[in-house]
Amino acid sequence: MEQQQSLLDMLKSFLEATLTPSPAVFIIGGLIVLLAPIILHHLYTRTTPYTSLPAVLLVGPSGAGKTALLTLLERGPLSSNPSPSSSSSSSSSSSAAQTHTSQVPASVELAAPEDKSLSFRTDLDAAGATATKFLLVDTPGHGKLRAAALSKLGPTASKDDKKSSSRLKAVVFVLDAADPDTLSTDGAEYLYDVLLALQKRTGSGKTSRAPHAVPVLVAANKLDLFTALPAALVRSRLEAELARIRRTRSKGLLGASVGADELDAAPEEGDDWLGEYGSDKFSFGQMREFDVDVDVIGGNVLGEGGPGVDKWWSWIADKI
Amino acid sequence: MLDSFEILTTSGVVLWSRSYSSVSPSVINSFITDVFIEEKNKVSGAKENQSAAVNPPYKHDQHTLRWTFVKELGVIFVAVYRSLLHLSWVEKLVDNIKTIFVNLYGDQLTKPNTTIVECAEFDKYFDQQLQELESSGAKITYGSSDLRSRGADAEEQASGNFGEKPPSPALIHRRIPELDTIADEDSVASGLSPNISRPTTPATRPDGPRGAKVSRRARRVQNTASAHASSGDESPRHKKAAAKGPKKGRKWDDDGNATEEDGVQLDYSAKGLTSDSEAEVGRSTALEEVDDATWGSRSKGKFVLRDLGDEVHSILASAEQSKPSTTSPSSTGLVGSSLKTIGGLFRNVVGGKTLTKEDLDKAMKGMEEHLLKKNVAREAAVRLCAGVETELVGVKTASFESINARIQSAMEASLTKMLTPTSSLDLLREIDSVVSPPPTSLRKPRPYVMSIVGVNGVGKSTNLSKICFFLLQNKYKVLIAAGDTFRSGAVEQLAVHVRNLKELTAREGGRVELYQKGYGKDAATVAKDAVGFAAAEGYDVVLIDTAGRRHNDQRLMSSLEKFAKFARPDKILMVGEALVGTDSVAQAKNFNAAFGAGRGLDGFIISKCDTVGDMVGTLVSLVHATNVPILFVGVGQHYSDLRSFSVKWAVEKLLSST
Repeated sequence: MEQQQSLLDMLKSFLEATLTPSPAVFIIGGLIVLLAPIILHHLYTRTTPYTSLPAVLLVGPSGAGKTALLTLLERGPLSSNPSPSSSSSSSSSSSAAQTHTSQVPASVELAAPEDKSLSFRTDLDAAGATATKFLLVDTPGHGKLRAAALSKLGPTASKDDKKSSSRLKAVVFVLDAADPDTLSTDGAEYLYDVLLALQKRTGSGKTSRAPHAVPVLVAANKLDLFTALPAALVRSRLEAELARIRRTRSKGLLGASVGADELDAAPEEGDDWLGEYGSDKFSFGQMREFDVDVDVIGGNVLGEGGPGVDKWWSWIADKI
Repeated sequence: MLDSFEILTTSGVVLWSRSYSSVSPSVINSFITDVFIEEKNKVSGAKENQSAAVNPPYKHDQHTLRWTFVKELGVIFVAVYRSLLHLSWVEKLVDNIKTIFVNLYGDQLTKPNTTIVECAEFDKYFDQQLQELESSGAKITYGSSDLRSRGADAEEQASGNFGEKPPSPALIHRRIPELDTIADEDSVASGLSPNISRPTTPATRPDGPRGAKVSRRARRVQNTASAHASSGDESPRHKKAAAKGPKKGRKWDDDGNATEEDGVQLDYSAKGLTSDSEAEVGRSTALEEVDDATWGSRSKGKFVLRDLGDEVHSILASAEQSKPSTTSPSSTGLVGSSLKTIGGLFRNVVGGKTLTKEDLDKAMKGMEEHLLKKNVAREAAVRLCAGVETELVGVKTASFESINARIQSAMEASLTKMLTPTSSLDLLREIDSVVSPPPTSLRKPRPYVMSIVGVNGVGKSTNLSKICFFLLQNKYKVLIAAGDTFRSGAVEQLAVHVRNLKELTAREGGRVELYQKGYGKDAATVAKDAVGFAAAEGYDVVLIDTAGRRHNDQRLMSSLEKFAKFARPDKILMVGEALVGTDSVAQAKNFNAAFGAGRGLDGFIISKCDTVGDMVGTLVSLVHATNVPILFVGVGQHYSDLRSFSVKWAVEKLLSST
């Protein structure tokens, strides 16, 4: 009984205190009004990254060398001044880490110098060069995991991805040039999907303003190997293969999502046709119509005697 | 011993590795693909933080992989060793390394936007653990009983290929004697004859030169108290009895006669694990003495190791301690808990809530119910939900995102991953590459062979003619082989289809013929003849119809293996009804297994999809059971009502709530 009584009294006095216009109440109330938005703002911004850096997407079939390229570019500046601690763990002379099949995307923050002649190995701080920071995003190349990478490219990017999609500056498509079989099957099909996703970006937006151009670099990797095809040959093979793919796809069955009533309304011409509609031969030049520039450059991540990755690096630095 | 040990992230970067002999990177690549990406072995907990002992070992040509996975950090720990070695301490090593590594470098791993982890120092920790466990590993396995039983599993699974010597790694020099003895014992275990390993067998026996079996018979005879009177017709029965029962220990008395005794275990063949590990203990203690002797010369190295050992032990001990403390929930009065609930509700609306198992349980139940309503088989629904749940526990929701929305998106991703085929399924391109191969490939052009199997009445012939129509539109020359030589009217039914198709495509230039041999013939032979005929006549594609069969009828299913061997189809497609329910799992599994080793189904055709509306769960059940992709979807009665499967469409239908 007594306890209840005292509790009630306490409540009563508390209510009275809060409702009487005293300076303490004013101060506390004012503080709440002023601070609450600030605290909320902090809570909100802490969860989201403070700035969104321009992004470069690394795509390509599994085993082409995407993750190896990523690690090489990241570790490049470090290897120029050899630290004693890293000497034991890195087995080979090059600084790319050993890699295996990726399951999740990984991103790395890199700085591209404004002076294009600088190699990726240059320590920019020491050289005193001005640089732009960007994110290099590695995506898994396994067939089951490509949907995530493609959704970053396409116009169908959901609301969360919109921000990152608008910051997408370039796409690097890594290919294994020493393996002509996967190059012309798996690699070409993936490249077809990537280019088609980029093509669909144009004209998909609500505004008439075209989305910013996203150039594509086809990086023919592993050129240090004897069996590797040179970049020009990779280019012609891919173009031939893409032409074949687009021909068979146009003749293939309709997708399951096409309902019976939509059948009569003929599908929009050239909806899924990559490049110039109706043309017999495909060339990467046709993609320019859709603001997609495609370059094919050779290089090698591992091994010695090849052209290395310097050309790719300057290409990336150029597009940032 | 150990071939290599690697610590790698889910993004594919190797953080730390040590190899003693060259292991092809394809071993670990295929391990990642099979276990993590395609989830072939159906480990429900492949994404959980289990210890290496619970995770089933992964085997890939001659190598066994023991692994564990830290989900929050996305780090995989893999130990690779030769399958013919039974290293019972490897699981312990993997677990300990995991604990140490996470303790030392865990904070470096959570940094965003980098793949570099400075862990060059880790070498000496690893060396310390390896030495410690190598020398005491046998004792550990002997001490805990559950570890031992797991060892038994591993031993049973290990195939007996003991003839080969592994390439000796750097550390092997001290271990070679042990290796030999292990190999010896294993050859015993593989059941040659227990007599080889018994040096106590007296060389000269009073009974004269007798083989092992004779002496066993003699002993038997002695036991039945009819001395030296073994009749010929009696002996086979005895032998059989002796072979059936567990082998007993034998003692040789002064006369040289064997007496049987229970209790002394000499039988290494089945459950000889106890004695095996006993032997190992004996050996390892002997080894320690040698170690101590050799260590005398390099006292400095020993000192450093001791120091490290203490640090490692303290890390392991603290990890051990923190384990039980996390499980007991802290009760902090009424005020604390009510504040927590209010905070939880607030966070549920605003987002940024860290999901726990309790939060998810109810929502997952709802999701499971939803999937079941969509006609997904229970087995598949449970597995999908378990996968999503383990994926989500410990994840923070994004701003202004509720739990249900998060689950929805996670389920969408997981369904997409499951249904997406590993390789592309462009049928026309495949046919082109077989029928007219590029001149560089040195392959001869030949007809592309497709066959269609399935349960009775699912629409095999109908879908076959639909595919035929599609191919004819693309101007291929198609031969249809009537492989259903059993059901009356089946050949005539195909003949009607062929007549219709001929009329339909006469203008477009396709050509189709029927190849039939009437009823009662062997279907496999008919199929083989049809392929030969097509090659001679220059057909592009051969479509083989087969008789419908119940998937649980062993007699009919067994003929499929012969069929696959004779006709050697490029693609074997199974037709499954969208109408069928839970039975679809068994159907798919049995058909997938029916073609013998190394050959399975290449794809599914789901018929009658127009009759089920949104309830397309059968798709998920089939893919769940077999990991075989879906090629086509039948959506109506006409020849043109065949659609290529689209993952997006299926996922949308499965998750739509009406």
